[in-house]
Amino acid sequence: MTREKQFLTGAEVVVQAAIDAGATMMFGYPITPGTEILSHWIKTAQTRLIGGQAKNLRYLQTEDEIAAGFAVCGSVMAGEKAFTATAGPGTTLMQDAMSMADGMRLPFVSIIVQRGGPSSGTVIYSQQEVNLAIHGGNGESLRLVYSPSNLSELYEYTRLAFNNAWKYKFPTVVLSDGFLMKTRQTVDLNFEIENIKSEPFVSENTQKNIRNIYSFEEELGEKLAQDKKDFEEMAHEVVKFESYKVESCETLIVAHGIVAGAAKMAVDELQKQGKKVGLFRPITLSPFPKDELNKIAQSVKKIFVVESSMGQLRDLVKQNLEVAVEVDGLYKPAEGIEAEEIVKSLT
Amino acid sequence: MSKEAKFCPGCGHTIVLRFLYSVLKEMGLEKKAVLGLDIGCSLLAWDFLPINTFQTHHGRVTPTMVGFKRSQPNSVSIGYTGDGGAYAIGMQGLFWAALRNDPVTVIVVNNTIYAMTGGQLAPTTMPGQKTDTSPSGNEQATVMGPELIRSLNAKAYVARTAVNDVAGLQSALRKAFEAQKAGNFSLVEVLSFCPTNWRTKGSETNEFLENMKRVFKLGEF
Amino acid sequence: MIIKILFSGDGGQGIQLMSDLICRSAIEQGFFVSHIPNYGLEQRGGVSLAFIQISDSEIAYPKFSKPDLLVILSQQAEERTKQYQNVECRMLNVGDFKTKLEEEKVPVQSFNIFFLGLIAKMLEEKNVLKREVVFGMLEKKLSAKPGWEENKKAFDLIL
Repeated sequence: MTREKQFLTGAEVVVQAAIDAGATMMFGYPITPGTEILSHWIKTAQTRLIGGQAKNLRYLQTEDEIAAGFAVCGSVMAGEKAFTATAGPGTTLMQDAMSMADGMRLPFVSIIVQRGGPSSGTVIYSQQEVNLAIHGGNGESLRLVYSPSNLSELYEYTRLAFNNAWKYKFPTVVLSDGFLMKTRQTVDLNFEIENIKSEPFVSENTQKNIRNIYSFEEELGEKLAQDKKDFEEMAHEVVKFESYKVESCETLIVAHGIVAGAAKMAVDELQKQGKKVGLFRPITLSPFPKDELNKIAQSVKKIFVVESSMGQLRDLVKQNLEVAVEVDGLYKPAEGIEAEEIVKSLT
Repeated sequence: MSKEAKFCPGCGHTIVLRFLYSVLKEMGLEKKAVLGLDIGCSLLAWDFLPINTFQTHHGRVTPTMVGFKRSQPNSVSIGYTGDGGAYAIGMQGLFWAALRNDPVTVIVVNNTIYAMTGGQLAPTTMPGQKTDTSPSGNEQATVMGPELIRSLNAKAYVARTAVNDVAGLQSALRKAFEAQKAGNFSLVEVLSFCPTNWRTKGSETNEFLENMKRVFKLGEF
Repeated sequence: MIIKILFSGDGGQGIQLMSDLICRSAIEQGFFVSHIPNYGLEQRGGVSLAFIQISDSEIAYPKFSKPDLLVILSQQAEERTKQYQNVECRMLNVGDFKTKLEEEKVPVQSFNIFFLGLIAKMLEEKNVLKREVVFGMLEKKLSAKPGWEENKKAFDLIL
């Protein structure tokens, strides 16, 4: 079925992707700029027919993000494709439930809509929740984190998020931001994959005892070693990145999310000026496309990180970099970055 | 029973859990039952009963079971927690599940203290009671959970019983599960022993519990 | 080809309505279109903004600092959009049309429709959209509501 082009906002795209992925339950709490995902899901749920088939979409606006997160945990354990969406201070609160999902290997899908921080910051935009998305819980954090740079990718990676969460059982995040969520653009949502079925963790046919706390260090150590192994196996199959005009480039821009959109335009402009600049874009921030970054980094003179954060992407890059290359960048925490600024910094 | 209890000798949890299971079995609900646990001493029950059981986080068992029940409406969803998990950190979740009349059953094992962490002040610590964090005697108001929850929801089943009130305990659990089947919220608070943190021996433990009954009234609300 | 338009006005002046109609008309012409409003606390300050881009290829980034066309519907909006005013940008400021609007007795609540008509004409000349398509959508939205005659008149005023 080929869809026609539609004029949709990021929030509408997320809801469509979730429905197409087989999600039938959303728990959420209003918080700008993510509220529209909840309200649009709820609005859509009022009409019974989705895409010609009767579908039962359910929801609950909870008393806070903590309850939303734990309700998602309960719901996925019961075998339903449930999800939540949050932002900023809500992302902080969500970490309690996400860390339980970390510890219990739950297919917890969340859309995190980055806004300025810390604290209430701004309700607008940032790329400052990278750390929270990947590492926000206590202990080790093995999560699958996607960073889409436009609405088509938002659709595609939300579809993939549900599938991979249920296939590999790691908490999965679609890391977006206020700008992308509020942008309305012409998109065709013609990405197709076969949906993975969800299965309950416990039911009348099981008798399971599942824990997230251990009496002895060795028990936990052993479990974590297995989780890590599983994560590394998954990584081979899900890791995603894009390299743009990197052939014989001397300066490698590294950017993610919508900033990468601006960075691509900057690369085009700089190349027109005869500069040897290319772009490396991690699409999965976790697992990070380490091998590919290093392969390209070997032959560049400088890496130039561009992000709407003080250095959360830069730190990820440095963690994964095994080549001795200068790392410089344009860091604008909580502020949008346009192509012209990137061009200016590299001229 | 599956394994040897890891609970302290004299702990009230084993009594509550054994009756929880026997009532479920008697009602033919043990396969449908799903037991969610808080992270206090209740966590030790994770592999105690031959029913589906999972741990959650401190204060978060109620919203977890709310989510679970909404996705498996035929299950008997039970949240099992202590007084701290129910009435301090978990109060918000409990309040809202009751307000919405979510058809889950919350069992609150009340021993007036945060036991797993070594005996700190709890929402149900009684006036003047000495704890690790109220060494000069408690001055904080005592939370009357069932009374509070009753005021939120006229349809819920709300009761308080005790581990040495076997008939009352069984009856309350039975009625709570019936309430869930009928689509309503249920809360059963059970006054329980904690000789380890009460530092009581032998009959002193029972005396402490009897004394609790002067503060916490048994019955249906 | 890419055109960047910034609409600005007080909340309630119908900035988002204008954006919606311009965007959808350009889409009918087969263009790629992007729109993002200001929102949240920023919007509560009273000024409503709409960043619109119309292009013949995919639009990579939703915001811009150098509009080709800047439309200002109020004094407050003029203050707020100072940073966007630049030499290459065509500015349509309600202040410059005040006399004409008063002469023709265009009610304040129809100012946005007047500008909509004006912009539709400009963009039709650039083959970005069809004026009659804009009007068609406007009619569908507002003809059943009070003030339609005034709105209709305001839309065609520029002709």
